[in-house]
Amino acid sequence: MWKRLLLIRGTELAVLAMLAAIPLVVNNSYVLGLITLLAIYGILLIGLDVTVGYLGQVNLAQAAFLGLGAYAAGLSVAHLEFGMLASLAMGFGVGLVFGTVLAFPALRLEGPQFALATLSFSALSATTLNEWEGLTLGAQGLQVSRPPFLGMTLDAPGFFWLCLLLLALVWIGMRNLLSSQWGRAFEALRDSPVATDAMGVGTYRHKVAGFALASGLGGLAGGLYAFNFQYLQPQSFGWDLMVILLLGVVLGGRKSLWGALVGASLIALLPNLLSNRGLFQLISAAGLIIAVAAGTRGLLKKTAGPFRALAPVVAMGVLVAGSFVVENTEDWRKAIFALMLFAVVVGLPEGLMGFAAHFLARLFRIAPPPLPAPAPLDDVLPKRTVDGSVLLELRGLERYFGGVKAVDGISMTVRAGEIHGLIGPNGSGKSTAVNVISGLYTPTGGDILLRGKALPAGSLFKVARSGVARTFQNLQLFGELSALDNVMVALKDVYRSPLPLVLLGLARAEENRARAAALALLELVGLGEQARSRAKDLTYGDQRLLEIARALARKPELLILDEPAAGLAHPDVNKLLGIIKLIHERGISIILIEHHMDVISELCSVVTVLDGGRIIAAGTAEQIKRDPKVIEAYLGATDGVAPAPAA
Amino acid sequence: MYTLLIVQLAVSGALMGMVYALVAYGFQLTFATSKSINFGQGELVMLSALFSLTLIDTGLPYWLVVPGGMLFGAALGLFVERAGVRLALEQKSEGWILLTIILGLLGFSTAENIWGRDDRPFPTPIPSDPLHFFGIDVTPLELSVAVGVLTVMGLVELFKRKTLLGKAFEAVSADRDAAQLMGISATRTIQLSYGLSGLVAAMAGILVAPITTVGPTMASVLVLKAFSVAVVAGLDSGFGVVLVGLFLGALESLTSFYLGSGWREAPGLVLLILALAVRPNGVFGKATIRKV
Repeated sequence: MWKRLLLIRGTELAVLAMLAAIPLVVNNSYVLGLITLLAIYGILLIGLDVTVGYLGQVNLAQAAFLGLGAYAAGLSVAHLEFGMLASLAMGFGVGLVFGTVLAFPALRLEGPQFALATLSFSALSATTLNEWEGLTLGAQGLQVSRPPFLGMTLDAPGFFWLCLLLLALVWIGMRNLLSSQWGRAFEALRDSPVATDAMGVGTYRHKVAGFALASGLGGLAGGLYAFNFQYLQPQSFGWDLMVILLLGVVLGGRKSLWGALVGASLIALLPNLLSNRGLFQLISAAGLIIAVAAGTRGLLKKTAGPFRALAPVVAMGVLVAGSFVVENTEDWRKAIFALMLFAVVVGLPEGLMGFAAHFLARLFRIAPPPLPAPAPLDDVLPKRTVDGSVLLELRGLERYFGGVKAVDGISMTVRAGEIHGLIGPNGSGKSTAVNVISGLYTPTGGDILLRGKALPAGSLFKVARSGVARTFQNLQLFGELSALDNVMVALKDVYRSPLPLVLLGLARAEENRARAAALALLELVGLGEQARSRAKDLTYGDQRLLEIARALARKPELLILDEPAAGLAHPDVNKLLGIIKLIHERGISIILIEHHMDVISELCSVVTVLDGGRIIAAGTAEQIKRDPKVIEAYLGATDGVAPAPAA
Repeated sequence: MYTLLIVQLAVSGALMGMVYALVAYGFQLTFATSKSINFGQGELVMLSALFSLTLIDTGLPYWLVVPGGMLFGAALGLFVERAGVRLALEQKSEGWILLTIILGLLGFSTAENIWGRDDRPFPTPIPSDPLHFFGIDVTPLELSVAVGVLTVMGLVELFKRKTLLGKAFEAVSADRDAAQLMGISATRTIQLSYGLSGLVAAMAGILVAPITTVGPTMASVLVLKAFSVAVVAGLDSGFGVVLVGLFLGALESLTSFYLGSGWREAPGLVLLILALAVRPNGVFGKATIRKV
């Protein structure tokens, strides 16, 4: 524990002290300019990493936010006579505001659409900076003077220390934020937006907040950029810079502050690397060796296919050949970036720091921080007293898809304390019904009442917040998160600290409480040992159980289990039965969608049978087994007495 | 007189808009099969145009240059699919966004160094003396763009509907998994779609080159507008791109008249962001049902 803290914090402090000492030792304006740029790029890339790494979206607007922040800060000195801090705040604010504005349309978007929205925004901001000559002087460029900092005039070392101080503050704040519920929520919504909403976490505000924050940091870096170079031109913030920034984040390593710093130093140094031929040859040769080594290792260990192993080697090989053939490497700048980026994206997707982190953790034998003892189950999931009153009521529920009446007028009642079975042949509307209740689909008609009050329609998030939790038949786990984090992110009533406290790192107590509570739920489903495993590395059966543990983290009144036994082997089914009984004993009412008739018979006090979107039978398991309509629905029309439906 | 000027601007703009529609159509082709698009498509347009220029310089007749350039475009499309898209699709990740951007950058730099950074004229046998229709001037060159665009799109559609390979294409577009279960190779079909997309992009380059001149940056703005057209129309809207292309072309021509040519790109960009905000599936696109 202490070793870990000492090593990690110690390295951070050492690097910070070393950087801070450089101006005292070296009196060289060139070196000073370089490390100032490093600090500025550091802030910029930490911001970009929030969207590219944590939110998992290709963000092509960070260079534009740098530009907007730079102009905002520069202009507020020129026109509003702001001081250093106020104009930097202006840069941050402009980034934050434009980030929020852009996040709203970009909100519902994934992948290519998000990339396109940010791409358009960059092009639009470039046009505006160029054409609004009254304010920005357009292509002619804008002179910016460096304003006083708290009344002092900053010389070059002073300004560097300011940049470094801001980098350190951003570093600490982001470290605290990203290791909190916020960071988990960002990653959760990258892995499964649907489940993020269904677990009451909310994709909406987290995506906006994440993107706005990233843009705000871009704007802050822009302010520093303006006062560093003291001359701004719109074309400095264009496509070229954007590609370089992506190179920095990807090469350094995503989802890592260190990665952002490594990336920042690389891109700050890059122009020098390219202009010195000997150095460039050396670096490309080193790249080739790494590519060959990584490719061979991948092939031998079978972690990489032939393309993944060979393509980076080819790319780096071309780079090495080019470094000897080409007359002027500056002319081929873009191609060189492209080849390097290509090799990293294909061959080393975790980036340099991702690669180094494994290695360092093994070298120094850094153990992950120990887990606390699980909280008592009675605290995490207090026993509810159930009185058999009406909990959920469906009245004539309908959901049509075009002409298909998937759910066609269902009325049913779930009483508190019941395990209510919902069965029916394939395509009978079970899953649609559940999707309507849980808010994925808006009902075409009818009412859904929870304890007599209308349940919010068509919003997974709001339904989840009203005390209904669900699992998914087609697993919707947050694959990259650990089992523990999967449960922690969904945990209800734990995270109360406001954002400023989280940024200051003063929310550790609730974080520990959350960890203990989540562990208790993992123990309940028998996954205590796998707490640290990534969800996508669990076995199929364990993934199903993790879905249940995660839903329980919502401390629901009503739990909807959508085919929890689908695809499970027999011993696992028995384990599942035990778990569902345990959950039931805690006073949680359950709607169970299931195909296994033995599971239904054993657990359910009431069973509703659907066919063709309508209810064809309801009663106890024994009653419906004998119901002729049910038998017909499952087995087709029969003349004699048919066996029980066992589908 | 003033009205006539406005109409004149709108018509010239709209004819240029057909080129955006053609590039946007190329996006649709790959999006249909693989839900991916080539972010470096502009470089593909540009490289094909430059390659065709080189073919012209070698003295090849125009009617041979066109297919030559198109084949080159198709080859580039296939390269993009192999190097930048296939791996990401296999991993079910969105890595192809970054990879196609990277390949585009590589193409750009290569063009800069092979063909130089200057814009050059693109000779064409099609005359540019204006014809008069009801007081509006239209050059045969502009008309050739419209005819060329519609011909290429028509031929590709015909191919998709009438040939067995085309039917496989449609099948993979409708449901990739089901098509694979029926013995259609999705990988091959996606490859085909990238080849076709490259072909179409090359055609767009050859058509637009005589009007805009050729150089490494010739398509960097064009592709932004093609993105707009594709998104505003909807990435699965079929011929919807033509209507939106005409509209956007006219709109930007008028914008540059009223606000100055620097603002020329603005309407397309604003429309794209608005469309994504209001109708992410496009004006002519179908809304998709979320499934879990």
